[in-house]
Amino acid sequence: MEMYIDPHIHLVSRTTDDYEAMRKAGIVATIEPAFWLGQPRTEVGSFKDYFSTLVGWERFRASQFGIVHYCTIGLNSKEANNVPLAEQVMELLPLYAGKEGVVAIGEIGYDDQTDAEDRFYRLQLELAKEVSLPVLIHTPHRDKKKGTTRSMDVAEEHGMDPYWVVVDHNNEETVKEVLDRGFWAAFTIYPHTKMGSERMVEIVKQYGPERIIVNSAADWGISDPIAVPKTAALMRKMGIPEEHVRLTTYQNALTVFGLSGQMHEDDWLKAPPIDQTKKMGGNSVLRGGQIPRVEGPADRVEN
Amino acid sequence: MKTQTDLLAFFQEILSNRSDAKALDWLKVQTEKISSETSPNKFFLAFSQASRFFKKENLELNENEKSELSSLVSGFDPSHWDLLQTARTYLLLCFPQEKSSWLAAVNQLFETGDMHEQQALYAALPVMPYPEELLYRAIDGCRTNMTVIFDAIALNNPFPSTYFPEANWNQLVLKSIFMQRPIYRIQGLDSRRNQALADIASDFAHERWAAGRHVMPELWRLVVPFVNDKFMTDLKKVIESEDQLEAEAGILALYQCDFAPAKQLLQARSEEVMAIEYGEITWEKIGKEFQDKRA
Repeated sequence: MEMYIDPHIHLVSRTTDDYEAMRKAGIVATIEPAFWLGQPRTEVGSFKDYFSTLVGWERFRASQFGIVHYCTIGLNSKEANNVPLAEQVMELLPLYAGKEGVVAIGEIGYDDQTDAEDRFYRLQLELAKEVSLPVLIHTPHRDKKKGTTRSMDVAEEHGMDPYWVVVDHNNEETVKEVLDRGFWAAFTIYPHTKMGSERMVEIVKQYGPERIIVNSAADWGISDPIAVPKTAALMRKMGIPEEHVRLTTYQNALTVFGLSGQMHEDDWLKAPPIDQTKKMGGNSVLRGGQIPRVEGPADRVEN
Repeated sequence: MKTQTDLLAFFQEILSNRSDAKALDWLKVQTEKISSETSPNKFFLAFSQASRFFKKENLELNENEKSELSSLVSGFDPSHWDLLQTARTYLLLCFPQEKSSWLAAVNQLFETGDMHEQQALYAALPVMPYPEELLYRAIDGCRTNMTVIFDAIALNNPFPSTYFPEANWNQLVLKSIFMQRPIYRIQGLDSRRNQALADIASDFAHERWAAGRHVMPELWRLVVPFVNDKFMTDLKKVIESEDQLEAEAGILALYQCDFAPAKQLLQARSEEVMAIEYGEITWEKIGKEFQDKRA
């Protein structure tokens, strides 16, 4: 069976049905970037508990469905605009940046491209260098082209190696510059709007698979947690070579986020078999009377 | 603080025998930073990044090491610990133990820890200073749904039986049963049995029976000192179980209790009674076998 990585998905917002569908579709690993929650937080403690969820409960929850969960830690650009709060969040970040399974600082960058966003973006680029982690850049949805260019300019100004930086939410207008400058170009597949699977296929046809990454960015909005496997299927149907499918939906994400030293193929290839009886703790994700899912080693994904 | 010095020396020896030079060099640099700096930031970072240098491999302590440890801190039993949590505990013991700054830093660690960091912290409770101040933290930790964290508090750990008030102790034991954890690994289980816990255990069994489900056989250990007519009725049912482990647990409970009618009931069970007297049926064996086959 094919293996996929969804390197951008907000799983705290997803149901156990989604987890089951993802696993069934071949997703073996996910990266959950720290982001906002649809409305701005007002207390630093909300950030602390959110970050703790990313490295704690959500990782555990994913493991019960046979999916390895990683995350990125950062102050997102929207909430960077509440400066007094943002300053407190910055003090929290070093507590999480060194944790196991934290594969990047992100998603950071610009939203409205304000001075406050610029200040906290720069501070976090410095943090990434200090702790030797890659960076995941969220590019703005408004004034995207200029915002994307500026994100890369500032990253370079701070001495970031473009090979350690993933620029996310690209489109046909931004991809060329991102690739030409040596950054990784990630694409979010959105249902209905923006980047759909069909457009993604055209981009891979045109630019090839090098440094291109597909993700779902599925969250609490209308989004599709199996967008990555679906796009892979469409690529195959449209005659994209298998190796290009593998690079854009699996290997490239592993290569760049693996720079953190926190993400290894063995994490899923040699994972213990899913055994919800061992992990369920009576009441964790299973409810009374449900039959736990137990699989033998033979059911594991093999390379 | 002789104990702290001795513990540090002991952990260092354990780590030295089991880690590579790169990891040990890193640890040495970190401990120097941690013990000389007033800000906890270096400590926080080292505590997290220990995962880059130490593996989650069981320590496989030998008998000498085990006996040496329990003479350092009464009841302390890291036989199920891995190398990573041992390194984290070592770092923790290097952090200066000035009360307010120590508590602030350790509470911050508890509140921001990932699963394995929390596992290390809760299992290290018996070697931490200020146990009274950490009691609420330990009780709150039992509310977790992550088994490794719950196990770190409940199993092979002298902290709960030493410090938990009865109501919290009873919740810990009951939750262990609910989560099908091996309760023979709860320290002080026999000495802290109580009437309320025995009643709760019986109620729990009745609930399970009503749902047509089985009861973890180790549960019957909890009723032993309180066996009366009511518990006799339960145990009569248990010893007739088709499940051999359940039946053995019922017989063992009857054998260990002081209730006269229980002795009469055992007269027809001479084979099992002999097995008990030869040490072939024990709570530990029942617990282990249940874990291997069922849980």
